[in-house]
Amino acid sequence: MSNEVEETMKRIQSHKGVVGTIVVNSEGIPIKTTLDNTTTVQYAGLISALSDKARSVVRDLDPSNDLTFLRIRSKKHEIMVAPDKEFILIVVQTPTD
Amino acid sequence: MPPAATPKKKGGEKTSTSGGKSLKKKLSKSAEDDEFEQWQKSKQLLKPPDQLELTDAELKEIIPRVLQSLNLQQPDSVVEFSFEQGEFIPKPSPGSAVLVFSQKGTYIHRETDEARKQLIAQGIDPSAFVSTESEEDGAEETTREEAETESDVTEEGSENVGGGETKEAEEEAKPQTGKKLTNQFNFCERAALTYKYPIMSRETQTVPPPTDTFSANILQWIIYDGYQQDYEAQQLEKELERQRREAGRMPTGKQAIKKATGKSSHNEAMQGRIYECWKTLERMLNLSTYDYIAKDYRYWEDPADEFREEEGTLLPLWKFAYDKTKRNTVTDLLWNPFYYDLFAVCLGFLDFMNPIKGGAVLLFTIKNPSFPDYICITESAVMCIDIHKKYPYMLVVGMYDGNVMVYNIQATCKEPAFQSNSVTQKHGSIVWEVKWVEDLPDGEMNFFSVSSDGKVNHWILMQNEFAVTTIINLYLEKEQVRGPDGTLVKRKACATCLTFHPVNPLIYLVGTEEGLIYKCSTAYSTSYLFTYQAHDMPVYRVDYNKLNADVFASCSADWRIKIWEDNRNEPLYVFDLGSCVGDVKWAPYSSTVFGAVTSKGSAYIFDINVNKYKPICVQPVVSRKKYKLTRIAFNNKLPIIICGDDKGCATALKLSPNLRLPCKPPKKQQHLDQHTLQLMKLDKLLSLVREPATLTAPPDPAGSTDS
Repeated sequence: MSNEVEETMKRIQSHKGVVGTIVVNSEGIPIKTTLDNTTTVQYAGLISALSDKARSVVRDLDPSNDLTFLRIRSKKHEIMVAPDKEFILIVVQTPTD
Repeated sequence: MPPAATPKKKGGEKTSTSGGKSLKKKLSKSAEDDEFEQWQKSKQLLKPPDQLELTDAELKEIIPRVLQSLNLQQPDSVVEFSFEQGEFIPKPSPGSAVLVFSQKGTYIHRETDEARKQLIAQGIDPSAFVSTESEEDGAEETTREEAETESDVTEEGSENVGGGETKEAEEEAKPQTGKKLTNQFNFCERAALTYKYPIMSRETQTVPPPTDTFSANILQWIIYDGYQQDYEAQQLEKELERQRREAGRMPTGKQAIKKATGKSSHNEAMQGRIYECWKTLERMLNLSTYDYIAKDYRYWEDPADEFREEEGTLLPLWKFAYDKTKRNTVTDLLWNPFYYDLFAVCLGFLDFMNPIKGGAVLLFTIKNPSFPDYICITESAVMCIDIHKKYPYMLVVGMYDGNVMVYNIQATCKEPAFQSNSVTQKHGSIVWEVKWVEDLPDGEMNFFSVSSDGKVNHWILMQNEFAVTTIINLYLEKEQVRGPDGTLVKRKACATCLTFHPVNPLIYLVGTEEGLIYKCSTAYSTSYLFTYQAHDMPVYRVDYNKLNADVFASCSADWRIKIWEDNRNEPLYVFDLGSCVGDVKWAPYSSTVFGAVTSKGSAYIFDINVNKYKPICVQPVVSRKKYKLTRIAFNNKLPIIICGDDKGCATALKLSPNLRLPCKPPKKQQHLDQHTLQLMKLDKLLSLVREPATLTAPPDPAGSTDS
């Protein structure tokens, strides 16, 4: 399974417009990254705080519900976040058009 | 005292000589002095140092002092000058009285004139006022007197509190007889003094209870999670209890192993979750990348269709391809019956002069056009697939080498869950089509397969292997030929396609390389129910109409598509497409629409209700020089078709509105639903084409005369 995970990550990295991918553990520490150190730390800290907040919003509205995905569309990038209890996956993409 | 009295008398005797009045005064004065001296005697006399020393004679000398009533200092005959008269006028003597303080009073005597005037001004008759006042005065006086007497009495009573109660009563009764006196304050006060308890104060100090500071955010979902965890813990406790009870009965082992597996399974689950998340991310990436296609897919309805009478177009959407299978040909396409966005692509090869090693089954979803969701790599080329209706994760595939395999993609894609034994069970040639059928009464899954070796096999999934039975050997109804060793050999048909009757699960159709279509029943293993002399070249596909089970279409390498009705020798419609027709499929949404693909790279959509002679859409999907289209599949829910080509690529196309026109109900039958309308539409068409069941020759008078 871990092999497939690696492959998928590599594939995503090779996708058009992908700037970087980050894997963050439950404590907000980046484990794997393709970006430089400072950017990674910044993304990891900010995004994990945001996703916690977003999850709190979703769970508070309905406790049996849960957050599964988060997309942040900015002028320059699109940040896609797949949050889990034990990790957060972040992909930064520049939209092609 | 007697010695004191003597000098007084002596002094008195001496002063008596000086005169009558003054003497008397002197006497009294000296007496007073004497008394004063008497008091002084006890004290020691303090003399000032400069006191004159007087002789006795001087001391005894009497200096007379006289007090008179006349004020000698009073000025006499005071005068005042009057400028008016120009002379002194004697003023009256001021008198001996000295005025120390004077204040004017405001009280007026009531009998004076002024008082009278005031009373009149107040509107009171002064005479009446005076009389009543005087009377009242009298009454007041009396009451005052009585009050005085009574107060005396009460004083007396209070003096002898002990026994004078009766006396008091008598005393009280007495004034009452004279005039009734109301004593508002006639009450008795009694008091008692109780023991006073001593006040005590005692203190002890205990050990303070342990305290702890706890702080946390509380949100609704945190509480919910807390309860959920508690519930799980309880369930686990119950489970453990149960296990312990069972363990008490049975000898145990394997516990350590269990723990280890628990940890690894957690890790595995985590990996699985990460994988799922990456997949979601990839889909989202694709959604951003292929945003315009997604919008086309969702919203583009070709506006030109309104101006075209009957023709429509196909809008190319995504292309699905996998790098490792680019050389393979798409040998089968199938939408998943449960997940409408998921479809399976079989990759094998059809150009048998250039065999390709290896094949694959790819499951793509239109949500992720860049990479297949599931990949099953096989050793041999995959020629056909079917997905179970009830268990959409069970795939059966037929291989180029004659094997069949069943994949459970929910468990794993890497190896098949079932595989036919390549020595004892497999088909003798290419498996061209596999079809799941309804589960057996005891729940076992089973499917049919057809192969070029002329056999139709029935496979049942047992515990971990297949049980296979050959349902029918498709013998040609031709003469036997003599084999190399001289024995007679019955020739077999090479089955190329198979389809089951949608209503009757026993009936199926088999297309052959010889161009025949056999209608068979699983109940008979030797005879055909019907034989259609369908085509001149191999039949590539037979497909039952989705709405009317009596109608089916077939396509062949002889460039033709034919529409058949059950048990009718002649086709209802024949369409010539000008090139080898790889596949034909009925549309699920209409009874008269079907699609086909040809080896020249074009997709055709027919609607026999609109046009009986020509397709309503011909669209080149791939370049006609380089590619061939091999397969087509209609989505069950979306207006989408997918076409497979011989370079391992599947193209999704959107049907324009003209290609999927719903039936308009006639004015008199507005209540009919789409299904019945579709059936009516097809029936109407068929009634036009059908020849009468039996042709009775009209009576020919000429002929009769001849005979």
